[in-house]
Amino acid sequence: MSATRRQFLSAALVGLASKTDRPVLGGFIDDGHELGHLLRDRAPFPAAKQTIKIPVVIVGGGMAGLSAAWRLDKRGFRDFVLLEMLKQGGGNARWGENEITAYPWAAHYVPVPGKKAALVRELFEELGVLRDGVWEERYLCFSPQERLYLHGRWQEGIEPVTAATTRDREDFTRFGARMNEFRATGDFTIPMELGAKPSTLDRLSIAEWLDQERFTSPYLRWYVNYACRDDYGALAKDISAWAGVHYFASREPDEKGPLTWPEGNGWIARRLLQKLSPYVRTGAMVHHISREGHRLRVSSGETDYLSERVIFAAPSFLAPYLFEDAPPVHGFVYSPWLTANLTLDRLPKEHDIETAWDNVIYESPALGYVVATHQSLRTFMDRSVWTFYWSLAEGSPAANRQLLLEKDWSYWKEAILHDLERAHPDIRECVYHIDILRLGHAMARPVPGFLGSEERRRLSETSGNFLFANSDLSGFSIFEEAQYHGVRAAEQALGTLQ
Amino acid sequence: MPVVLFLSVALIAACGLIYELVAGTLASYLLGDSVFQFSTVIGSYLFAMGVGSYFSRFIIRGLVAQFITIELMVGLVGGFSSAALFLAFAYTQGFQLILYAVVIAIGVLVGLEIPLLMRILKNRLEFRELVAHVLTFDYLGALAASLLFPILLVPKLGMVRSALLFGLINAGVALWSTYLFRNELGARALLRAACVVVLVALGAGMVGAEKITQAADNNLYADEVIFARDTRYQRIVLTKWKDDVRLFLSSHLQFSSRDEYRYHEALVHPGLASLPGARRVLVLGGGDGLALREILKYPDVTSVTLVDLDPEMIRLFSTHPYLVTLNQHSLTNPRVHVINADAFVWLDRSSESYDFIVVDFPDPTNYSLGKLYTTAFYRLMAKHLSAQGLAVVQSTSPLFARQSYWCIVETLKQAGLKTYPYHLYVPSFGEWGFVLAGLNPYEPPATLPEHLRYLSVATIPQLFQFPNDMLPVDAESNRLNDQVLVRYYEHDWREITH
Repeated sequence: MSATRRQFLSAALVGLASKTDRPVLGGFIDDGHELGHLLRDRAPFPAAKQTIKIPVVIVGGGMAGLSAAWRLDKRGFRDFVLLEMLKQGGGNARWGENEITAYPWAAHYVPVPGKKAALVRELFEELGVLRDGVWEERYLCFSPQERLYLHGRWQEGIEPVTAATTRDREDFTRFGARMNEFRATGDFTIPMELGAKPSTLDRLSIAEWLDQERFTSPYLRWYVNYACRDDYGALAKDISAWAGVHYFASREPDEKGPLTWPEGNGWIARRLLQKLSPYVRTGAMVHHISREGHRLRVSSGETDYLSERVIFAAPSFLAPYLFEDAPPVHGFVYSPWLTANLTLDRLPKEHDIETAWDNVIYESPALGYVVATHQSLRTFMDRSVWTFYWSLAEGSPAANRQLLLEKDWSYWKEAILHDLERAHPDIRECVYHIDILRLGHAMARPVPGFLGSEERRRLSETSGNFLFANSDLSGFSIFEEAQYHGVRAAEQALGTLQ
Repeated sequence: MPVVLFLSVALIAACGLIYELVAGTLASYLLGDSVFQFSTVIGSYLFAMGVGSYFSRFIIRGLVAQFITIELMVGLVGGFSSAALFLAFAYTQGFQLILYAVVIAIGVLVGLEIPLLMRILKNRLEFRELVAHVLTFDYLGALAASLLFPILLVPKLGMVRSALLFGLINAGVALWSTYLFRNELGARALLRAACVVVLVALGAGMVGAEKITQAADNNLYADEVIFARDTRYQRIVLTKWKDDVRLFLSSHLQFSSRDEYRYHEALVHPGLASLPGARRVLVLGGGDGLALREILKYPDVTSVTLVDLDPEMIRLFSTHPYLVTLNQHSLTNPRVHVINADAFVWLDRSSESYDFIVVDFPDPTNYSLGKLYTTAFYRLMAKHLSAQGLAVVQSTSPLFARQSYWCIVETLKQAGLKTYPYHLYVPSFGEWGFVLAGLNPYEPPATLPEHLRYLSVATIPQLFQFPNDMLPVDAESNRLNDQVLVRYYEHDWREITH
């Protein structure tokens, strides 16, 4: 009997069977892990063919390194080079471009800076983002900014509203009030060094703090956890309460933001790279640094640089692999990430509300996707590129890094499409290309106790001729912190060089 | 063998019920009063089945061949019933007559099916078994059909193709029966050929269903559809009722030929007539060429650039005999340059300036269109105005969408322009609003082109007077990063329609 019914149904459905899956092209993007592993494994490198004497060498062409170079150049100092391992500079702000649009590979926005972020404002005035105190409208994120897929439908904004109970709303209100209190103290600033030293809050996790304060709403807990996954690549239980609070209490924007561009922070990187091109050497991995008298010998490919100062803007954990005299670097935990750019030649059907810039799926272990064409001035759009973000927060970072390397492209492609299918059942009919970037050490993780640790402070205060500059010194990887440390290291270098 | 036979019982039962549901649904959809329609359709259908059952006693010889013939007839009549009824509604006066004729014809044929089939099977099974099984499968088929119809068929296939699909199933059962009962059939080849002909006819109907639905657009629009086309950007529909031609873009009314002169005279002349030195004019939107027609009444205007997204619109309004009479061949005038582009992007890349700019975009119904009503857009527009230049902006209704209208005025002010709001009555739209904006004070014109049907020099100042129920209300400016206008617009129109 049931067989008959099935037969009947299948007969009735003849001609309705879904189309076969579209083939999807793409692959992994060069993430430099092979080069990095040469260092880890202490592989031999060829001897130098030339030695160049130059007062300052910047190692690393991400935001910290570029900011250091920006500062040196601005101070009229021209005797330096910046060495970047990959063929493309930008670090976490690097970008890609195809026939539809430019798109980001990682960092994709800068919150509208408050008054204290003087350096960020200075750079943005230079780049025409801020003019006479007014933010350029086309660089502010267009409406609608965010949406959340919850209980089978899209809602506006990321704070869960659909089916929220009175209790949920009370918790959100109380949480907002607590964050306002923290903000009013002025302790939580960007850059973080300008605020108060991390307090006792740094000794517990933000999840424990929520327990202590009796925040029980599952929606609020999800929201805080999402914020930690998004900004720190880790779960709320693995993030210092001080860092958790910092996320919510540090910003006082004077304009609805954030600032963003089709290629994300690649827009900034691109302009800095252009401005600083005389100093920048790409595809130039540093494989060794050694002391030579009061100088440092920096070996990169077949060139050695003999320099007075090294600004080390690459991730701090790499220093001991390159430089035998590097101070010990302990306590740094890095979150592994995966990002993907999906090219769509038609857009999924939307039933509830329009596609936003940032689109989050409540049930997903990933972070959702950002639409690269959102900042386009076009009114009509039938193709797009979506940047899919996934911080592998669940489980240990080492195991997740292993997973990132082990699984092939098809595995991740399927995982991504499967995740998007929760909210877009027709996604497979729309996507024809997926490029994937695996970032084993995407960002520093402010685990409990790290921000207040002596070690972190010592590294960011090192003087002498080897100067750390990466954003990981702040414990979290954001543009403003990278810029702050890059500029600070540049100032230190100039100050001691007289 | 028996299970296969009973499956065909379930199939033909499903087909029978689908035709009944199609007729009932179409009748309620097209005529309204669904209780009455469903009740009378079901009643006459059941009665006709009774008539069929009665007449089955007169069929004595060649039972199998007769059964197959009846199946084919049900397939043909039922399969095309939906298409026939749609067309009947669009093109004839006697829809109800045809409706009941079709219902009764299908009913009689369906009524013949089961008695004949039972008689064919009577020697293969005990009577007790036979009645139980045939009726069981009959009702099962009906259940499946009643569930499939609203859940899958209507939403996925539509009414026309659903009926055709089940027509194909009927014809399939007929073809199948020529094999099942091959021992009891004489002229098998002839019957099979007939089956194939019916299958092909129904299959062709499936393919051509698009055309039938297009013809059925007549049901959506009150008047006769004289042109309908889906372009990449929108659905263009022209309707005609007596001497009134109306243009709909994606279901939104753009103009009625009876009163469009009011709209277009008021859009162009208060501004352009006040600029005796105007040479260069820009029109954004307005692919119907009607604003152009008014602009070309100024012999001093040497060049008009029109930017419209959709080349199909331009083609239609440059070639359709009725439409070129309406716009007086404005689109092919040598003074006119037509550009197919997204207006914001085009303007951003252009370095030209204009004495008069007409901004005639669709209403800000979504965030994509809302971009064209922002401070960023108006600032850009202002850059393209010559020193004495003026722009006029289509600004929705100050009566029905009062806050939206004043929001557009406020947005123009925030972009640094002086504003001169005015309005008029267009019968097919209701009260409609425009805003003149420029860098210099505006004075209403002292002369106008000859032979205007609506405007006169004396009445223009009156357009700038707003009665109490359209006076300014508080509204924020509309910005790319905070599109309040889309929210105002949605709210304003919801108020009206509730």
